[in-house]
Amino acid sequence: MKKMKHEEVEVQITPMLDMAFQLLTFFILTFRPMPTEGQFSMNLLPSAPSIDITQTDQKTDQNDSSDTPAMLRTLTVQLRSNLDGTLAQMSIGENDFPTLDLLKSRLKEIVADKTLPFDQAVIQSDPGLKYEDLMRVIDVFAGPEVGITKLSFSELSGI
Amino acid sequence: MGGSASGEIKAEPNMTPLLDVVFQLITFFMMVFKISGENYDQRVKLPVAGSVRPVEGQMADDRLILNIDSRGQLLWNGEMLDIDRAMKELRTQSQLVRLNLKIQKKEVAEGQPLPTTVVFRADKNVPFTQVYRYITACQQQGFVKFALKAMSGEG
Repeated sequence: MKKMKHEEVEVQITPMLDMAFQLLTFFILTFRPMPTEGQFSMNLLPSAPSIDITQTDQKTDQNDSSDTPAMLRTLTVQLRSNLDGTLAQMSIGENDFPTLDLLKSRLKEIVADKTLPFDQAVIQSDPGLKYEDLMRVIDVFAGPEVGITKLSFSELSGI
Repeated sequence: MGGSASGEIKAEPNMTPLLDVVFQLITFFMMVFKISGENYDQRVKLPVAGSVRPVEGQMADDRLILNIDSRGQLLWNGEMLDIDRAMKELRTQSQLVRLNLKIQKKEVAEGQPLPTTVVFRADKNVPFTQVYRYITACQQQGFVKFALKAMSGEG
């Protein structure tokens, strides 16, 4: 530092660049884009009692059944599972639907029919049904073509 | 480009733009880097559903996230809780929520619905009965708002 001559001070940029590249490499290698999660939001009031599958009528209500209009607006769908937990059959009242597409088209008809008051649904499911298959059914209900988003659940107590 | 002072030609590439770009990239990766801070347990394989809605961010504080594995056990703070401990934990959580609301002067009476949303992150292979058991337990504790998580699209 004693030199009084014009001295050029050079900042060493290479180590900084090295570090920067190392950091960059680290982030690129550890980068795993988080899969996008979404959710179905619902208000579930307490508390739906278990329903005996032997009852064939559609009285399902979740609240004390004083609210008759709510009962009439409620569509009840029963889901039955195979032994391995996969979805076997869906029923609305007396009608059985072996596939989701058939259920979807029936639901579309129900929603399109303005004389039918249904705007909410109770999904009664076999205890062993896989959550994945339940979600597929919920997806049909909540999807844009059907659009029933007020859902509640109960468990079928018989097989 | 380097100058030529005394006949010697010095070729110095200009590193500054390169460094700028590198820092911008680093900043990007740092921003998207998540150290699984949220209660998103990777052991849970969520089902896929096409019509799920994206989560609104503003209610992050008012959520209780329940991770349920394929055997129906509650994954809580890295621990696997069996059903009895899970129920106890849910009770504790509801008491904590009530206490918290009391502190904020928004007290909720016993039996009244709690404003907290219970978010279910259940494994796709868990039987319905297990999930339903947690739902009814939460309802008994006064929770009425629920959200069922799923992956949007194929993943």
